[in-house]
Amino acid sequence: MAAIAALFSGRRGGDLGLGGILALGTAVVAALYFISAPLLTLVLSSFRGPEDMLPFEDAAVWTLGHFSEVYTNPVLYKEIIPQTFVFAFGAVTFSFIIAFTLAWLVERTDIPGRNFIFTLILFPLLVPTLMLGIAWVFMFGPNAGWINQGIRFIFGVEAGGGPFNIFSMGGLIMTQGAALVPFVFLLLTAALRSMNPSLEEASAASGASPITTFFRVTIPILRPGILAPLILAFLIAMEQFELPLIIGLPARINVFAIRIFFELSPDTDLPVYGRAAALALPFLGIGILLLLAYNHMIKRADSFVTVTGKGYRPERFKLGKWKWPSLIFVGVFLSFAAILPALVLLWTSLFGFNAPSLAALSNISFTPYIELFQEVRFYRAVGNTFVVAGGSAVIVTLIGAMLAWILVRTKMPGRSILDFISFFSIGIPSVIAGLAAMLLYLSTPIGVYGTVWVLILAYSYRFAVTTRLNRAGLMQLHKELEEASYAAGGTWLTTVRRIVLPLMGPSIMASMVLLFIIGFREFTIPLILMSEDNMVLSVILWRLFENLELSKAAAVGVLIIIFVIPIIFLMRQFLLPKTE
Amino acid sequence: MLSVKGLTKTYETPEGPAHAVKGIDFEVGEGEFYTLLGPSGCGKTTTLRCIAGLEKPNDGEISIDGVIVAKPSDNLFAPTHHRNIGMVFQSYAIWPHLDVFNNVGYPLQVRKPRPPKAEINDLVMNALEQVGMADFAKRPATKISGGQQQRVALARALVRRPQLLLLDEPLSNLDAKLREQMRIELEEMVAKIAITTLYVTHDQSEALSMSDRVAVMSDGLIVQEDEPRAIYGKPVNEFVASFLGTANIINGTVAERTGDDKGVVIIDDDVGQLNVILSNGLAAGDALQIVVRPEDIHATTEQPADQSNILMGVVDLLNYQGGYAECFVHVGAIRVRCIVHQSLRAKPGDKIWLSVDPQHCVIFSGNT
Ligand SMILES: Nc1ncnc2c1ncn2[C@@H]1O[C@H](COP(=O)(O)OP(=O)(O)OP(=O)(O)O)[C@@H](O)[C@H]1O
Ligand SMILES: [Mg+2]
Repeated sequence: MAAIAALFSGRRGGDLGLGGILALGTAVVAALYFISAPLLTLVLSSFRGPEDMLPFEDAAVWTLGHFSEVYTNPVLYKEIIPQTFVFAFGAVTFSFIIAFTLAWLVERTDIPGRNFIFTLILFPLLVPTLMLGIAWVFMFGPNAGWINQGIRFIFGVEAGGGPFNIFSMGGLIMTQGAALVPFVFLLLTAALRSMNPSLEEASAASGASPITTFFRVTIPILRPGILAPLILAFLIAMEQFELPLIIGLPARINVFAIRIFFELSPDTDLPVYGRAAALALPFLGIGILLLLAYNHMIKRADSFVTVTGKGYRPERFKLGKWKWPSLIFVGVFLSFAAILPALVLLWTSLFGFNAPSLAALSNISFTPYIELFQEVRFYRAVGNTFVVAGGSAVIVTLIGAMLAWILVRTKMPGRSILDFISFFSIGIPSVIAGLAAMLLYLSTPIGVYGTVWVLILAYSYRFAVTTRLNRAGLMQLHKELEEASYAAGGTWLTTVRRIVLPLMGPSIMASMVLLFIIGFREFTIPLILMSEDNMVLSVILWRLFENLELSKAAAVGVLIIIFVIPIIFLMRQFLLPKTE
Repeated sequence: MLSVKGLTKTYETPEGPAHAVKGIDFEVGEGEFYTLLGPSGCGKTTTLRCIAGLEKPNDGEISIDGVIVAKPSDNLFAPTHHRNIGMVFQSYAIWPHLDVFNNVGYPLQVRKPRPPKAEINDLVMNALEQVGMADFAKRPATKISGGQQQRVALARALVRRPQLLLLDEPLSNLDAKLREQMRIELEEMVAKIAITTLYVTHDQSEALSMSDRVAVMSDGLIVQEDEPRAIYGKPVNEFVASFLGTANIINGTVAERTGDDKGVVIIDDDVGQLNVILSNGLAAGDALQIVVRPEDIHATTEQPADQSNILMGVVDLLNYQGGYAECFVHVGAIRVRCIVHQSLRAKPGDKIWLSVDPQHCVIFSGNT
C-alpha cells in the first residue's frame, strides 16, 4: 500500500487515505483496461489463425497470413485507401465551408435569431447519423426521392430518375459533410470567440481596410484554431461507418470502416477476425499521427490566444443588404440537415413512403406506431439505449474526472502516458472499438457477450473529452480551496465529495451530457456486437430499413427525435455558451 | 488639432441602454499631451474608441486636424483605417503570427501605395531603435515580455507618423517598477517627437506627471479640465479632490467675512476656527467644505507662538513610511490626516498642533 501511496505523492496537503488510494487506483486501472485490453486483443488477433477459427481457440496458431493476405490485395490500394481519402477529404472540405460561414454569421454578425439557429445547427449531432442517412435517402433517392420527384414534376419530366443521385461519391461527401457540420461549427465558434478583438482593431488603427484586416490578421491568427478542428474532423470522417453503409455501399464505394465490417459479417463466408484486425492496425497508426498533429496545432492555437479582461465583443458586423442572402443560406442548410429530415420521417411514418400530396392525407395510418408499441423488442431497445448511453456516460465521466484530478493535482509518474492514452481514445474508430470488444469478450469466458453489459463495456473507452473538460474545470479551481478543506480536518474523500465534486459540477455535467449524446446516437458498436437481447434503437432502425419496413423505420426515427428534445434542453443548459 | 463636441455614446445591452458617454466637449492643441482621467467605467475608453472610429457615436462631432471624422447628425463617419492615428491598446494587441519587425512594419505595408521595401525597413528599424527594441526585430511576437510588447505596440503606433496618438492605459498591464520606467520613457519619447497625444488612465500620478492638461471624467461627463497643478490644487468638487490623491474634507460654517476675499470658518463639532480665502460669495452662516491636502498641513509637538490657523489635536496613529510619516490626528470629533517629517517624534496620545496656510484650503459651498 505504501508503494501505491508513494505513486500519488508529491502533493502538498492532506493524505489520500485508503479510500482515496483505492478510488484513484481503480480509476487508473479501469481506464487502462477499457482502452488497452480491447486494443491489445486486436493486435494479438491479427497474428492468430487459421481464418475459420476464433483467435484464441485452442487449435489456433500464430501466423502472418492475415497481413500478407490483406496487404497484397490490390483492392486495398486501388479502392479502399483512395476512396477513404477522397471521401474524408471531400466531406471535411464541404463541411468546413458551411460550418465556417455559419460560425461567422452566428458569432460576428447581427443575423436575427442567433440562439435558435445555434440550437438547430446542432441537431445532426444529437441523432444517429444513420437516421439522417435514411431521411436523406428518402429525399434524394434517384427514383423515389422526394426532392427528385419534386424537381421532375416542376420541370414536367415524366420518366427516369434524378436529377440527384445520392448513391454516388458526391452524394456521400455532401451528406457526410452536412453531418459533420455541427461538430466543426462548435469548434470554430470556440476559435472565433477566443480571438482578442483588439488584434483586428489594431489593424484598422494601422490604416488597414477591413478586407486587408481579414486576410492579413483575422485569418492568419485563426489558422491554428481552424486547422486543429479540421484535423480532428478529418480523423472522424475517415472512420465514419453509417453513411458509407447506407449511401456508399449501394454506390460501390468501399471505405475502410465498411471493409472491416464486412470482413466480420461477410454475406457468405464465416467472419475472419484476424483479417479485420490486420486491416484495422494501420488506421490506428494514422489516427495516432493525426492526433499528434492536432496536439501540436492546439498548442500553437493556445499560444495565440491573448486574453483580455474586457468582457465586451466588438460590435457585430451589420449585414445590411446581405441579411436576406445570409438567412437564405442558413435556411437552406437547416432545411436539409434538420427540418426536412424530421418532416420526411414524420410523413413517412404516418402516410407511407410516397411523396406528399393532399390526396395522401386521407390515408393517415398509425399502424407503424401501434405495431412498434406492441413489440417487446422495441421496449427493450428503448431501455437498452438509455441504459447503455447512461451507464457508459457515468462510468466514463467518473473515471475521466479522477484521471483529470490525477493529471492536475498529483505528480504521479507516468502521468503524461496516462494523458496520452486517454486522449488517444478519440482516435479509435467505432468500428475498431466494436471489433476489439468483440474479440476480447468472445475470448473471455465471463458471460457478458451478447448482453447489454458488453455494450456498456465497449462504449466506455472515450475518455478524451471528459478528461480534457474536467481538467480545464479543475485548473480553474484554485488548489487552495481543497487545501482549506484538508486544513479544516477533511480527509481526501470528504474533500472530493464536499468540495471538489460540487465545484466541478458544471464540467462534470457537461461531460455527462456529451457522453450520453455520443452513446445515444451510437450505431456501429451495437451493430457489431448485436444479439437478440442487446439491440438499441439505432440498430432496430437499421434492421427495419434493411427489411424495407420503411414506415416503421420512419416511426422509430420520429421517436428518436422525440427522445432528443429534452436532451437539447440539457445541452443548452450545460454545454453551450450563450450567444447574446 | 483634435476637437470633440457634445460626444454621446449609448450602448444597447440586453439589460437596457448603457449611457457610457453623456455629451462631452474638449479640444486638444497641436503637440499637446492631453489626459482623460477617471475611475473605472466612467467612459474613458469609450471616448477614445469613438475618436479612433472603433465605435460610432450617437451624437456630437469629432474632428481631427480640422476634418470632421464623425458627426452622426450629418451621417458622417470615417472608418478607423481612414483616420490618421496611432493607437496603443490596453492589451497591446501584438499580432502573435508576426515577428516584431512585421508587427511594427504592418502600418507601412498596408499603406497605399506601398512604400518601397528599403524605406519600410529604414522606418521600422528607426522606430524600433527609438523604443530600444532593434535587437529583437526577428523575434516572434509570442516570445517577448509584457514591457517589450508595450514598446513594440508604441513603435507600431508611431511608425507611420500619425497626426494623433491614442493611448489606452498603456502602463496598466505592467508591474509597478516597470511601469515607472516605461512612464518616463514614454514621456520623453512623446515630448521628443512632439506628437499630439490623447492619453487615458485611471492613475492620478500618471496623469499629473505626464500631461499638459487633464480632464477628469466621472459617469460619462467631464467634471474638470485644467493643467495638472490646477486640478490638484484647485479641484472643483469633492469628487475631483478625493480622486486626485488623499484629501481631508472638513465641514464648517462661515462665521464672518473679514475682508474682500477672507473669512473665518467655524468647523463643525466645535473643532475650532480656520482663516480661509472665501472668493465665491459665501456669507456668514453659509455651510461649506474645506479641502486640505495632508502634505499642506504643518504639524509640531510644541505649541507654536503664533496662534493663527492652528488646530490642536491628539495623535491617534503614526505610520512610518521611510522618508516621511503619515499621522492621523483627532481634532475634536474629526480625524485629520497629515504628512510629517520622519524626524517628528510623537506617539499616540501626545498633543499635536496643526497649522495650515489659508492659501492651501480649498472651499466648496454646501455641506454633504
Ligand atoms: N460594448 C459595450 N457594451 C455595453 N456596455 C459597454 C460597452 N463598453 C463599455 N460599456 C459600458 O460603458 C461604460 C463606460 O465604459 P468604458 O469602457 O468607456 O469605461 P472606462 O472608463 O474605460 O473604464 P476602465 O477604467 O474600467 O477601462 C461602462 O459602464 C461599461 O460597462
Ligand atoms: Mg477602459
